[in-house]
Amino acid sequence: MDSVLIANGLNISFEIVTLALVAMGLAVTLGLLGVLNLAHGEFVMIGAYCAFFVQEQGLSYLWAFPLVVIVCIVIGWPVERSIIRALYSRPFDTILATWGLSLLLREIVEFFFGPGFNSVDQPVSGTVNIFGADYPLYQLLVMLIAVLLIGSLVAWYVKSSTGRRIQALVDNPNLAKSVGIPTIALARNTFIFGLCLAGIAGVLLAPIVAVHPGMGIDHVLKSFFVLVVGGLGNVVGLVVGSGVIGGAESIVAAILDRTAGYTFVLIVALLFLWKKPGGLVSR
Amino acid sequence: MAWLAANLAFITAILAVLPQIVGDFWAFTLALFLLYAVACLGLGLSWGQAGLLSLGQGFFLGFSAYTSGLILIGFSTSVWLFPLLGLSVIAPGLIAYVLGCMIFHGRTQNTAFFAIITLALILLAAQIATSWESVTGGYNGLRNIPGLPGLAEFEDAYTLSAVALGLSMMFVAWIMQTPLGVLWRALSQDERRVAFLGFNHNQLKSVAFGLSGLFGGIAGTLYAPQNSLVTPDLFGFLLSTSFVVWVAIGGRNTLYGPVLGAIGIGLATNTLRESVSFWEVILAVIFIVAVLYFRKGLTGTAEPAVKRWFERNARARKPAPARHSTMTFDRISIENLNLSVGNVGILEDLNLNIGSPGIYCLIGPNGAGKTTIFNAMTGELEAQSGTVSMLGTRGIKMDARTQTIAGLGRKFQVPSVFDQLTVGENLAIALWSGRPSRCDLLRMSLLDWESPVLTELERRFPFLTDRRQMVGNLSHGQRQILDLAMVLCTEPRLILLDEPCAGLSLAETNEVIGTVRWAVDRFQATAMIIEHDMAMVRELADHVFVLHNGSMLFEGSVAEVQSNAAVQAVYTGGTK
Repeated sequence: MDSVLIANGLNISFEIVTLALVAMGLAVTLGLLGVLNLAHGEFVMIGAYCAFFVQEQGLSYLWAFPLVVIVCIVIGWPVERSIIRALYSRPFDTILATWGLSLLLREIVEFFFGPGFNSVDQPVSGTVNIFGADYPLYQLLVMLIAVLLIGSLVAWYVKSSTGRRIQALVDNPNLAKSVGIPTIALARNTFIFGLCLAGIAGVLLAPIVAVHPGMGIDHVLKSFFVLVVGGLGNVVGLVVGSGVIGGAESIVAAILDRTAGYTFVLIVALLFLWKKPGGLVSR
Repeated sequence: MAWLAANLAFITAILAVLPQIVGDFWAFTLALFLLYAVACLGLGLSWGQAGLLSLGQGFFLGFSAYTSGLILIGFSTSVWLFPLLGLSVIAPGLIAYVLGCMIFHGRTQNTAFFAIITLALILLAAQIATSWESVTGGYNGLRNIPGLPGLAEFEDAYTLSAVALGLSMMFVAWIMQTPLGVLWRALSQDERRVAFLGFNHNQLKSVAFGLSGLFGGIAGTLYAPQNSLVTPDLFGFLLSTSFVVWVAIGGRNTLYGPVLGAIGIGLATNTLRESVSFWEVILAVIFIVAVLYFRKGLTGTAEPAVKRWFERNARARKPAPARHSTMTFDRISIENLNLSVGNVGILEDLNLNIGSPGIYCLIGPNGAGKTTIFNAMTGELEAQSGTVSMLGTRGIKMDARTQTIAGLGRKFQVPSVFDQLTVGENLAIALWSGRPSRCDLLRMSLLDWESPVLTELERRFPFLTDRRQMVGNLSHGQRQILDLAMVLCTEPRLILLDEPCAGLSLAETNEVIGTVRWAVDRFQATAMIIEHDMAMVRELADHVFVLHNGSMLFEGSVAEVQSNAAVQAVYTGGTK
């Protein structure tokens, strides 16, 4: 087989898988809780800065994972308590408040780390030969981890009793409350869990992208488009949406240029908003 | 016009005095923020009035800054310079209007999507501005843009910006007071109700967004010659976010809020950014607190007092023109209607025929499908099979707006009135239904319209004459009655009422019963009323339909219904 074709195919797969990884956290908060968290991308950014921070301290890259979970809990807890919980019934204000939150988080990170671009070293180097195409080992690992993460999350959601409780909460919050499910704590934990997913995605992506305070915007936008195209129904929607958005962008970008890829994605998302607002895979 | 003159005097005075206070150097910086204030004024119009949050207001400013810069570089000595600059002002307005028409087409509850799309728009614009180097100058932008001919000193730039801001504020002050402004505020509260009063809500929103783009265009066109430099930063989400922050803290619903926010907070940021290193963090916190607890912003909190000051005197009422309605009686025929939502069947093979005007009551246990019939008739829900013929057409081909214009009046189960508007404004909106042309919506006299129907309603329900009362202050019963009054003000030929007397006192119920009977006689109308209160059904109904499990169980007069064994079985819990 043509090694260029394979390399391109791997690149596109990588785009799609990482997009699904980043969008998963938003799928949790928006799909399950109905909270459109515009600060989602900033938690990806925070994850990336966690990776940058541990490397700067001379620690192993792996320390970034526990660190990002702690950071997301420390930020997410008061945020849920003070902002999100007050606005469950005011979705329009949620957009504004989380937009303010994204501004706040950017400014705080900028205050500590400065506005410049940073890079994170890849924890594993080297390439793997796949059917004649040399492909970076780290990218392969990220894909593998992302697929495992998404898969195990879905399995857990479907099988576990906590998953059932969340389903009950989504389906009928009042009834869930009246049968003894601690809905407030459950919603909080789900929200924080969504943030942690975003943070972990950020840690994984940090060695491949430029780490800077404004990096989150692109991620929240594309994640939202993924959910628009795929629908908020289930993991199939997430994968389909990532496939359409990530695939379309990387293919058009490869043929023409980045701007064209971006424009194309925007047009696709707009078309879906007009013609198929429920997405491809409905609930 | 007194308030307009007062505004004008106030704006002129402030803008004239400012350079004296802050000095010439600051006047130049100030000039920039005056232009930002124009852009924020546009954001205030679309967001504060029509409820459309744009996270990308910088797009319009940036777009016309680039076009204006290119025009000034390429045509600085041409006679076409000023016409072309005029185009660069108007173009963003047109783009915004067309974009609005496309985004809003066919969808109603999409404020979140709208915000995201505007965000995507500036990111796309930033991408294009940096990558299309041959035209935009790429990352460095357009440089050495000549100034406007005849303006040499920076005092001139200040004056020009100040004039632009003053005129823009005059325009916004005026348009906020027009019927169009009232409709914007109404649709930001309840879009469906605006559609059910016969207005093209999507177009109203597009006009608001278009105007916000126009203000961006004014600001951007003046920005290029004033700064002689245009960079992709104008498309940055940072600037657009700043606009949102300024408008939110200043107060999005008022005229002065966006201006105060842009100039006050903008200048403060400009000054304090260097000295107070965590100023931006503080600002972000203030913004979040404002969103959570002070949604009206600084000026909005002070507004009631200011409003009282400028309040218009009660003026002579003017008769509204007759409502064009070609219909006399409308035959309704529902045939074999099947409707399910998801896998829950609601209506099954439903047949319902109404052959003559009068009052028809729909009764049936909860979940029988009564409200669903109304939703199927007005196109809120789509039936899987079967036909509905009414308002002279077979099958639902019209949307809520067209149906209302054709003579439909629907009252929802929960009172759908505009809480943030006055009683007078609520009733006026109902009177405008189907009467004025589009341009009429800019005429102040529409606010003083009255009609014989309204006069009669005011006689029956005296609280309606307190036209300045905010609807949010009314009791539940009064809001129910106001909702009914609004439906009747549209002089409908087909009236759909969903539990009009729910939550009313006995006296109010009796008055409503009398009013419905009067309206049906006066308009020669057909009324379909969903009701649980059998006393009311007995009083009103010419004919009763009994629904059970989505099908017609029985129909007939009140007496026939009451003596029917099947109906009794359903209501007393027996089996059929």
